[in-house]
Amino acid sequence: MADSTTASAPKPSSSVKLVLLGEAAVGKSSLVLRFVNNDFQPNKEPTIGAAFLTQKCQLPNRIIKFEIWDTAGQERFASLAPMYYRNAQAALVVYDITKPSSLVKAKHWVAELQRQASPGIVIALVGNKLDLCEDDGPEQDQQDGEGVDEQQEDEVARKVSTEEAKAYAEEESLLFFETSAKTGHNVGEVFTAIANGIPEASLKGPKGAGAGTQSAISAAQDSTRVNLNAGNGNAGPKEGCAC
Amino acid sequence: MFQALIGKAQQFIDIPNPLASSNADRPSKAQLFRHQFRLPDSQSPLFEITAEVTLPKSKKQSPSTPKSGQPKSWDKSNWDQDREKGTHYLGQLHLSEQFLCFSTVNTSFVSTASTSASTAFNGRTNGTGPSGNGFTLPLCAVRRVERLHTQSYMFALSITTWNGSDAGTDAKPGAPAPPKLTIQLEGSRQQCERFCDGLKRGLRQGIKEVEKMRTVGRDCYSEYFLYDEFDMKPSPTLPNGTSRTPPDTGLGSIFKYPGNPRKLRDRSKMRLWHEYLKENGRNATLVRQPDFHRLIRVGLPNLLRGEIWELASGAYFLRLQKPNLYKETLAKYEGQESLAIDEIEKDLNRSLPEYAGYQSEEGIGRLRRVLTAYSWENPEVGYCQAMNIVVAALLIYLSEPQAFYILSVLCDRLLPGYYSTTMYGTLLDQKVFESLVEKTMPILWEHLSSNDVQLSVVSLPWFLSLYINSMPLIFAFRVLDVFFLEGPRVLFQIGLAILRINGEELLEAADDGAFISVLKTYFAHLGDSAHPKSENPKHRAITNFQALMVTAFKEFEGITQSAILEQRSKHKAAILENIESFAKRTSIRNLGPESKKLSTNDLGFLYDRFFTVLYEREQRAKLLQEESDRKKKAAKQKASDIVHGASGNAPEIGRVALGPSPSQMDYDAFREFLAGVARWAVTDSPSSPTKDDSAHKSQNGYFHTLKAKPLNTSPWGSGPEPADHDFMQRLFKKWDLEGGSALTLQNVVSGLAPIKGNRDIMSSIAYFFELYDDDADGKVDREGILRMSEALLFLSRRGVNDGLSSSPSMTSMNDGELGPEGKRRENKDEQFLSAVSAFIRRCFEYADPDHPSRQAEDGVTSAMDKPTVQDTPANLLDLEDAPQTPTDAAANSPLSRPSPNAFGQSTPKPQAVAANAALDPSSPVHITLPTFRMLVLADETLESFFDSGFANSFHLADAPLPSSTVTSPSFLTHSGKLATPGGPAIPALSPGGASAGVVPPGKGLRGMLDNIVTDGMRVAVEVRRRMDEAQKEIDRGGTTRGTEEDDDEDGDDHGRDLLEGAEADAGAASLKTEPSLLDEPVGGEAGGSAAAVPSTPGGTSDVEKTTMFER
Ligand SMILES: Nc1nc2c(ncn2[C@@H]2O[C@H](COP(=O)(O)OP(=O)(O)O)[C@@H](O)[C@H]2O)c(=O)[nH]1
Ligand SMILES: [Mg+2]
Repeated sequence: MADSTTASAPKPSSSVKLVLLGEAAVGKSSLVLRFVNNDFQPNKEPTIGAAFLTQKCQLPNRIIKFEIWDTAGQERFASLAPMYYRNAQAALVVYDITKPSSLVKAKHWVAELQRQASPGIVIALVGNKLDLCEDDGPEQDQQDGEGVDEQQEDEVARKVSTEEAKAYAEEESLLFFETSAKTGHNVGEVFTAIANGIPEASLKGPKGAGAGTQSAISAAQDSTRVNLNAGNGNAGPKEGCAC
Repeated sequence: MFQALIGKAQQFIDIPNPLASSNADRPSKAQLFRHQFRLPDSQSPLFEITAEVTLPKSKKQSPSTPKSGQPKSWDKSNWDQDREKGTHYLGQLHLSEQFLCFSTVNTSFVSTASTSASTAFNGRTNGTGPSGNGFTLPLCAVRRVERLHTQSYMFALSITTWNGSDAGTDAKPGAPAPPKLTIQLEGSRQQCERFCDGLKRGLRQGIKEVEKMRTVGRDCYSEYFLYDEFDMKPSPTLPNGTSRTPPDTGLGSIFKYPGNPRKLRDRSKMRLWHEYLKENGRNATLVRQPDFHRLIRVGLPNLLRGEIWELASGAYFLRLQKPNLYKETLAKYEGQESLAIDEIEKDLNRSLPEYAGYQSEEGIGRLRRVLTAYSWENPEVGYCQAMNIVVAALLIYLSEPQAFYILSVLCDRLLPGYYSTTMYGTLLDQKVFESLVEKTMPILWEHLSSNDVQLSVVSLPWFLSLYINSMPLIFAFRVLDVFFLEGPRVLFQIGLAILRINGEELLEAADDGAFISVLKTYFAHLGDSAHPKSENPKHRAITNFQALMVTAFKEFEGITQSAILEQRSKHKAAILENIESFAKRTSIRNLGPESKKLSTNDLGFLYDRFFTVLYEREQRAKLLQEESDRKKKAAKQKASDIVHGASGNAPEIGRVALGPSPSQMDYDAFREFLAGVARWAVTDSPSSPTKDDSAHKSQNGYFHTLKAKPLNTSPWGSGPEPADHDFMQRLFKKWDLEGGSALTLQNVVSGLAPIKGNRDIMSSIAYFFELYDDDADGKVDREGILRMSEALLFLSRRGVNDGLSSSPSMTSMNDGELGPEGKRRENKDEQFLSAVSAFIRRCFEYADPDHPSRQAEDGVTSAMDKPTVQDTPANLLDLEDAPQTPTDAAANSPLSRPSPNAFGQSTPKPQAVAANAALDPSSPVHITLPTFRMLVLADETLESFFDSGFANSFHLADAPLPSSTVTSPSFLTHSGKLATPGGPAIPALSPGGASAGVVPPGKGLRGMLDNIVTDGMRVAVEVRRRMDEAQKEIDRGGTTRGTEEDDDEDGDDHGRDLLEGAEADAGAASLKTEPSLLDEPVGGEAGGSAAAVPSTPGGTSDVEKTTMFER
């Protein structure tokens, strides 16, 4: 799945800053661990603020080096998030398909990123823990009202239907995947899709404002739409959040 | 008696300091004092005096020194002899309630001393820690104080201390006696006497604490260790054969301490400490001399590490105060669950998992208990990730209770706000760190910014977990050793040194990844030689860590505590604003589906208004509390002292960014909230001394005693005083979905959304109807109908902006003049009155009887003609025989109206029942929603009210009420200082001055109309009276129609009478208020009078602006 070739290929390589956001315990760290080490285990490394990891991803014509910031799980760390998503070119917003509240939180993060992060950021919405509802077709979603015991793996524990999340993702122009960090299902695909989704232009100068006119326009729109923030959020890559 | 002493002392100490009161962020003197000596919050600086302390010379150097503890006669020759032998320190001696403290650092807290000197933790004795050389002596550890009879100009004391048990002697083993302290006071005789009197009183109190000191001492390794001559493994048995157990020195004593003891030279260190403690006292009686600081810098030995941490950080003194708090807390909450506990549980297995102790249930259990106990004791902090790592590290060297108290000191003092729910302290210190890097390493800083590497993502974990997770443990502990002694600056010094040492490599790093990896490599090699290739073996022996310490403490010596405090206060506002705007965005996005009906602007507006009200209320409550406490304490003090004392220590609680703040409104807060968004929610009769409200009463007493003060002590702050009306209570109840008598922001938004968001007349009518349908059965009874009518009058008494008139009514209301716009309004008001009057009438016409058998009669009534619009106001205005007496009583509380039964008693007439069931008080009737809807739609005025007027009466972001009444920014800019006179005038709300809503005389019909409508209760009485009359008419057997015509005829005259009366009232009202306003040009005394003073003399405008919720 995840391309973990370490040998340096002659292809052009560029680095992409990616941040993971989402409610605690949805599996952010597990997804990263799966992607970076192709492993699944209880998280032994205590994360203070955010954990930093890197992993390369081979595309046909280039290599993308992901610099991954896996943010801490606890709610109160949320106010540190601007520090990590600042200048990120990509974001993985993760929710747990067995926990509807985590999708609400995910939507919050999407809105936050769209308004506060660098314009042109590629966002992927990821519903994790797909293994908890094995072979449930979309049809089964409606009937699994019980799911009191979410922890039991064999039960159909899905609480967020694929359609709902997908529709939302489409509405907001997000990439969308359902994954399992446990089995590794779809994990590599998420990162590959993100790698493909990063505009070539922004890769060349990841530091600059080279996000192109399109994002400049969207930034302008953003600042008119949200005047809660007195236009600070999009002020430019140097300023950003003062955190 | 002690209180009196404090009060007296404060006269000398608390002289107002203009500096302190101008900067809200500056800690109070008492705070500085406590921080300096690491004292518990209960302590305050009572006396201070310059003094010279003499300690016996080291025994090693002068073995002939008489054994201490031996009584000795003090005379001049003895004194001089001792003086020569001893070591002298000149400094400040302080007395608090329970402590005698001495420091060579300039620790003066009197007003003449500059504040910066007080905050500088390295004054004269540069680099020797926060308290310099000296001692922090609990008074219970003082065994004897002798006045030395020396030359007359000298005033000297000899103080014998103890640790709770008799010292060992040659004959009897035991820990040695702590050194005798000789203190020469340097002040006037009177000063010295006063100090000594205070000391005597404190000592008497101290006797009670001796037992505590013994208890706490049993956990101190020094007590065990010093019992005998030096031995790495002190004998486990006493000479008399009884065995003794060593105190708990942390998990390390079971699972080994990290590092190689030989390499760490643990034994030599223990020997040095044994020597030091023997001569300089231990735990409670410890005296800090330069060796103390040196011994800490070279790293503490394993077995004493915990105890010295405890002493240096001041946690020991907390434990001394409440030795059993830890155990009691655990017992008290045993078996209970909490969010914090869940969070703690998740992290237990990932806290220093590589240490053997945390691979066992023993270690995990200790960690769990300490974190849990802390979360119970400090629910506003609870548990924050990173605390697990810090506590796990502490527990290697400390017993559970010791770690518990150190954690408290960490969270409250050393790392303020780091672990709070917003982590503002963490963010703030990162900003401070960045700015220090920018200052001290401009080239590196430039490199970082040009490569877009954000330093704080790297440095944040250093600070948050005190380097424990970044460096190998043994080195992190060395940093902690110094940190507990010298405070937060150490974290900055080490951080700066790390960057300095790695500067060259970091200049090559072009992204986060490279930056992080340079530092990772560095940390991994901290134990290696810093100069591996050096010829000089001594140089080769220097490790990277030693080099780091040298760089940190030599090169960055200038990073003082005061430098950090200064940076913190510089960046604080911006950080808090960032957090608050983030919180606001987050909150607004999570207000539930209803919130989508309102614009983001409106939501933002509501958010601000909501939290501003809560914040202000909290500040007011706190200040009032403080003031009354202070007043009690120092009844004889001058008012000006009180003011300064209060403002010097600005309260900060309640700000969203600072952690948990109130997030629910009670009814009073709700009223205040409404008064800021709806004009009708402002009272017509601001509280008067006669008001029967205990809170107000105490307020007023307060006013009188402190009349000259510029304190705005209105319970409503600088905003208008809200009304209290049945309608508001109903609104509150309706919005309070959870029924907890408290509204969350979400409740408020969901409550307002249908009003402001729908803009649909049908739902707006239904909404109103439901407010009065108490039992939700689709019916509103007679009482309800009356209350509805009252509400309509209440809501409209300051005019209605029905949206039909194109121009905004705001302007026409704001300028006092009556243009054509105002004229139109006059008419509108009249119309509204008549509409409501007609409404009441029709309600009863169309009401259904509760009893089906009455259906037929009801049909008769409803067949009557509808009254015309013009005839009703006449009825309403006919006050000729309006009852006057119940007005006052009822005006204060709309709820105190007579019950329907009481009301009905006066007029039950059999004919009435027969003639009109609807008006028979004893026969219940009701209207249904369809009826209500029909009645509203039948009247153009009411229709437009429900179509838009009602919604428009709530002023949100698009048409806010004048800002002075809404967000009262003056309050916020003062960081909660209550001593703020009222904001600028509020013409719209209180054109007449104190009594908001009363129109000044001479404003013609409009003003008069307002006056009528203003007094909601009078109208209510009027409504009732009309009911009675209607009944009487029925009694008389006349038709309703006929009576109406009669009323119509003389309506105008009656109206005029009334209006004249009203005008007189208004005049009286303004007469009453004006003189008092002149007397007190500072104004802002009461909520209503805030409007009268546009600007105030007392420097209120010079404070920087910090608006809390705006961005
Ligand atoms: N069944 C299942 N459990 C998962 C999956 N991903 C994570 N988990 C579990 O969910 C919990 C939280 O995971 P973690 O990665 O720490 O979440 P984070 O707080 O978002 O970083 C852990 O117990 C993981 O073992 C998954 O795909 N399937
Ligand atoms: Mg995680």
